[in-house]
Order: sequence, then structure tokens, then C-alpha cells
Amino acid sequence: MATFDRSDIGRRQAIRALASSAVAAATSASWVETLTALARQQAHAYAAEAVIAAQNWAPRTLTAHQNDLVVAVTELIIPQTDTSGAKAANVNRFIDRVLTDAQPTWRESFVRGLTWIDTRSRALFKARDFLGASPEQQTALLTRLSAEGNPDKEEAIGRDFFQAIKSMTISGYYTSEIGLRQELGDNGPLFLPQFQGCDHPEHQ
Amino acid sequence: MQIISPAQVHSVIVIGSGASGGMAAWNLTQKGIDVLLLDAGDKFDRSKYWTHVQPWEAQEREARGEMRPQFFLDTKEQPYTTPEGRPFSLTRVWGHGGKTNVWGRVSLRYSQMDLKAAERDGWEIPWPIDYSEIAPYYDQVERLIGVCGGTDDSEVLPGSKFLQPPPAPRCGERLLMRGMTKLGLPVVAGRHANMTRPTRGFPACHYCGNCGAGCDTASFFCSADHLLPFALKTGRLTIQSNAVVARILTGDDGLARGVQYFDRQTGAERQALAKVVVVGASCVDSTRILLNSKSSRHPNGLGNGSDVIGRYLCEQIRLNVAGYFPQLEGTPTRNDRGLGGEHIYMTRFNHVPAKRRDYLRGFGAQFWNTGASTYGAHYGSYALPGFGASLKQAVKRRHPAWFEVHPFGEVLPYAHNRITVDSSRVDRYGVPLPRIDYQIGENERKMTEHMADTVEEIVKASAGVLVNYKRGQLDAMGSAIHEHGTCRMGADPKRSALNKFNQMHEVRNVLVVDGSAFPNASEKNPTLTILALSWRATDHLAEEIKRGNL
Repeated sequence: MATFDRSDIGRRQAIRALASSAVAAATSASWVETLTALARQQAHAYAAEAVIAAQNWAPRTLTAHQNDLVVAVTELIIPQTDTSGAKAANVNRFIDRVLTDAQPTWRESFVRGLTWIDTRSRALFKARDFLGASPEQQTALLTRLSAEGNPDKEEAIGRDFFQAIKSMTISGYYTSEIGLRQELGDNGPLFLPQFQGCDHPEHQ
Repeated sequence: MQIISPAQVHSVIVIGSGASGGMAAWNLTQKGIDVLLLDAGDKFDRSKYWTHVQPWEAQEREARGEMRPQFFLDTKEQPYTTPEGRPFSLTRVWGHGGKTNVWGRVSLRYSQMDLKAAERDGWEIPWPIDYSEIAPYYDQVERLIGVCGGTDDSEVLPGSKFLQPPPAPRCGERLLMRGMTKLGLPVVAGRHANMTRPTRGFPACHYCGNCGAGCDTASFFCSADHLLPFALKTGRLTIQSNAVVARILTGDDGLARGVQYFDRQTGAERQALAKVVVVGASCVDSTRILLNSKSSRHPNGLGNGSDVIGRYLCEQIRLNVAGYFPQLEGTPTRNDRGLGGEHIYMTRFNHVPAKRRDYLRGFGAQFWNTGASTYGAHYGSYALPGFGASLKQAVKRRHPAWFEVHPFGEVLPYAHNRITVDSSRVDRYGVPLPRIDYQIGENERKMTEHMADTVEEIVKASAGVLVNYKRGQLDAMGSAIHEHGTCRMGADPKRSALNKFNQMHEVRNVLVVDGSAFPNASEKNPTLTILALSWRATDHLAEEIKRGNL
């Protein structure tokens, strides 16, 4: 038994390991780790009653404004380049799904982060909120939040929030068809007569 | 509640249909003995597995209200307890085939070193059998189920005679092999119960890598596919599904006369009678059944005059280390699915005097998830700095470059690590729950240090970079899912519960054939040994029945 090979049991173990803080940054709050773990779990859709692909989708946990904010922040994290970004991959819907399944305290921590980022945008940029700030200002704020060793205690909530939404964005985006197939190039057939293994001459 | 007590007395009742119980039922029916097999769950429908469903397709299916197979027993249905501050992560699969539906498939023979470790170092008791006694059964099992692997035998890992060809290593595995070879660490082709050649009418592995979702082509060993249908064909097997066995019933002579079970769907209490009971419900559940089977002749649980049953619970410790190879960053994404697990294995090496340290027993290592993941970005990607196009590019560049190292180490059997039953906490049928009290000690802490040193050396020698590394951080206790020791076999009835044929010293018509019979855990994955041991035990049982001794 026991492998986090590509095995289900293994995944569960890895999620447990994750939840026990193996993965999230050492300084981040436990809710960040638990939400990260849940997102990872949901990305593999073990418990998700997903509604991500639905035509008439509406958020179940986020408000309309919070959803717009999540769309904007996730697209800043994984933007459209030569391939589509988080917005096209509906990562906001994935995050709403994770939050819906999350325990209330984790959900509240995440939503507090969304509120914080609006408040901070007002304080720093005199903007209406984060969405009212210029693209440069938005990038500047996220840059502060993602900087290692940012000593500003005021921004602790924002840093935790950013770590959480970043992990959730990575989980959601790269398990979407856009992320896994188009971006990462995973097109390997599911039925092979023989496994070829490494074909790099320099790594034999 | 009405108790239905059918008059029919079966030849043999087998409890559990996983590796141990499935093998017992298969072997006994092949030998002409009628078997009633009780499993706590139902048959999983292989035609409905989501083996080849992509992550986003799974989301769409679930949006349509479809459910993937639910293999794992929910603790809400069947809780277990642990003492405050000492969690134990228990994984149970109730249903035909048990955990073999979704197991890791690593199939490593135990060697004489493993079986006689206690003889060498004096810690607890050795196995009452030698490698030469179990080797013919390993041969038979490997030929029956189809195990792939290399020809790289050693005193640690013997017996490659009947293995099917192994799949080639992935690039990251090649780099790890190079590093280990440089260090003089033994690295071999992984041995897995994935058939790489068509076997007994089952198609060979097609390398989709998603074994953990259950195999819809039955190309790795699962008791429900590879044993039970053949046992049913003999016409001598009856399977009672959803039969949650609570107790083994005994007569005035102290011998077993059947079992009491509860219908999982209706809650109805039932009995089934038999001349012999073979227990293969997996370590914790078998132990729970034995300890709950109290009677005036067995006040401490069935066959537990020695008070060893429930004690000496031993599992394995494991590190879970991830990193990447800069050499592979930015290379094109390959199809690294393979057979759903690492294609290489590091065998134990610390028995060699030059590599020895001041602790007992040893560890080996697996290397899960090495190469390009097929279900998203590796979780190490969360730690990549920044955001935006640069993050996106970094995730992609690193995608083919990830590796993981998972050393598995033996935990010594300690009398205080034990499963008990607590009459104040009962399940929905009123049956006392298992309580698991388990912790590691100084020996394991020293071994963890050696495991961490070894991981760091391997990574350095193969020019890898660790990510989110926390030295010595062990996975949750119990998460290897290799529980052993609580109903151990041994030569001395005062110190063991079973004889060398898995027969209870104190109750000769009860056999326990799962991992609980192992006197110690070893660093290896146990299922191959469970299969060999159950085959051997039931060979002996069949002879005893034919001689009229039971």
C-alpha cells in the first residue's frame, strides 16, 4: 500500500502531509495551509461537486464583488500569455467551490483577506478598492505581498491571503484542461503498449 | 433484535476478502474445501471506475451528479479512537478486495534478514519461519499475480526469478539512480504487482499511471479480480457481502464455532457457523474482532492468554521530501505516467558495517511522483516566488523536473504500542471501537536522522534542489498503511498468538492470516508476504482438515 505514487491513498496522505504544514510557507497561518490542502484535494476532485463548467454559473459563497476581485487577482497570478490564464480557466469558480466546502473559519479568513486588499488599496492608492486601482498599482500591491521577508506587520493578513489564493490558483489552473493540456503540454496517451522511459541521451 | 442462527455449519469461514482473506478463500476452494467468505462491504464495479478520467472531466461528471467509486471507509461510519496528542491515521477499505483495489502495489520479498532480525539484535521475537520455507510461496504468488521487476537480487531483496520485465525509469529517476550509484547506495528496478505481460487472461498494464483510482482493466493485482472470481468458479465459495463481523463465537471447549456479524445495510444481527475460522480483516479490524471475542474461556479476548494480542503494533516511519532537478527544467513535458509509482527502489543498506549506525533495523526508499505530474502542477509549485507571467513560466519549466524521495523505515515492536477495545465507545451495532495507542521511540528518532542524512546526500549527489524541505519531518503515524504485530506468530506460545502456520496457539481452529501476524514490520511493503503467508497457512489448514484434525 502506501504510495503517493499516482495512487488515491497516496494523494490522501499527501494532503494530510500538506495539512500538517509540509508545503505552505513556514510563516503562514494554519488557515492558509488548510485551504491550500483543500484546494489541492478539490483540484483532484475527490469531494468536489463541481459546477465549474456550468453555463449559468453563479457564486455560492463569494459575493458578486468578491468574485470579481478573485477573478482579477487570480488572473494577475496566472495571466494570459501565449496560452489562456486563470480567468479563462474559470479559476474563480474553482475557488468559490473550495470555499463552499471549507470550514467557516477558513472561509472567513479568506474573505477577510479580500476585504483587506480593498482597504489596503484605498490606503495606499486612494483608489475606490482593488479593482479601482490601476494595473500598475495592483501589481505593486501584490508584489509587496509576495515579497519574502516583508516586515510590515500591517500586511500580515494580506501576505497570508496572497499565499492562500496563489496556492488555490495554481491548484485550480493546472488541473483545468487549459492549464494541464495547453500550458503544461500534458497530452500523453492513456494507453501505451510499452513505457518508453527517459529518452534524453545525456541522462541515461 | 431477532437473531437468526442458521443450522448450516460451514467448513471454513473466512473474514475479509483482501490480500489475506482473498488468498485464503482462493486456495481453500482450489483444494476442494467449501468456504463462506464474509466481507464488510460490497463489490466495487470495475466498469464504473474513473481510471482514465482527466481532472477536469471528473469535475464535469460530478457536476452531472455522478460519483467516483467510494473505496475508503468513512470514520463517521466506523470511528476509532486515539489518545490525546497521539494521532494515528488509519485507512480502511471495506468491500471485495479490500485495500488491494487501490494499493501501492510495491511487491518486495522479505529476506532472511527481515525474518530473523530479532535473532540478530535481540529485540522481541523472530519469525518462526525461514526464508527457505516461504520462498516457494513467493514463487507461486509472483507467477499467479504477475509482478514486474529487475534481476537485481541481493541479500536484502532476493528472488527475482519469476518477475516480468520492469518499465524503464523516468529521467528524474535516472538522475536519482546516478546519484545513489555515486554514493554506493543500492538502487534497483522497482517491483510492483503490475503485470507488464498479459497474465491469466488479464491484459498487461497500459501505463496510464492512475492505479489509485482502481484499474478498470484489472492489470494490477486486486483480490477481487484475480482471486475471488476463480474461487467462485470452483462452485465452493459463497460470498456474504456487507457482513460486518463483530465477534468470533466459541463453544464450551473454547474452540471457535462461528461468527457473529451485522448486516451493514439493515443493521440486523446474524450468525454463521463453521468448523474453522480464518481471520483476514486487516491488522486493526482483525485485532478488534479478536479482542471483542471475549468469553469465559477467553476473558482477555480470543486466544489471548498470553496478553500479546493488540500489543506490539508496529508500522513504518516515512519522510516525504520533494525537490527538482535544474538539469531537467525547461525540457519538453514527457508522458511520465508509467505504472503509477516509482520505477526504481533503494533497498536497505545499513546492514553493511561501513554504513551502520547506532540503531536497530533499517530503511529503504521509494520515489513517488518523479517526473511530470498528470494531475496538475506539483505542489512544490506553490513555493515558487512571485506571480504573473514569470510564475507561469517557472511552473512550466519545473513541471518535468520534480522528484520526490520517500524513505520507509521499520518501527520496532513495542509492547506499549497497542490496539485495545473500549466498551464505553461502541459503533452503530454496539460493538466496542478499536483504540489505537501508538508512538515511536528513540530508535526511530535515530533512524529518522539517518534517513534525513541519506536523502540529503542523494539529492546532493544527483544535483537536485530541495523545496520546502523540513529535515526529519515524518508523515503521519499510520500513513504507510502497513500495520503489523498485534497478533504475531512465534515459536513460544507465551510470547506469541499464532504458530508458524498462522494457527492460534490457544484456539487451534482459528487462523489469522493478515499483516497482524507479522512479528515485525521490516522496511518493506508487506502485501506480497501476506499473500505468500496466507497461501502457506491455508495449505497447512487444508491438510489438517483432510487429516481430520479440525
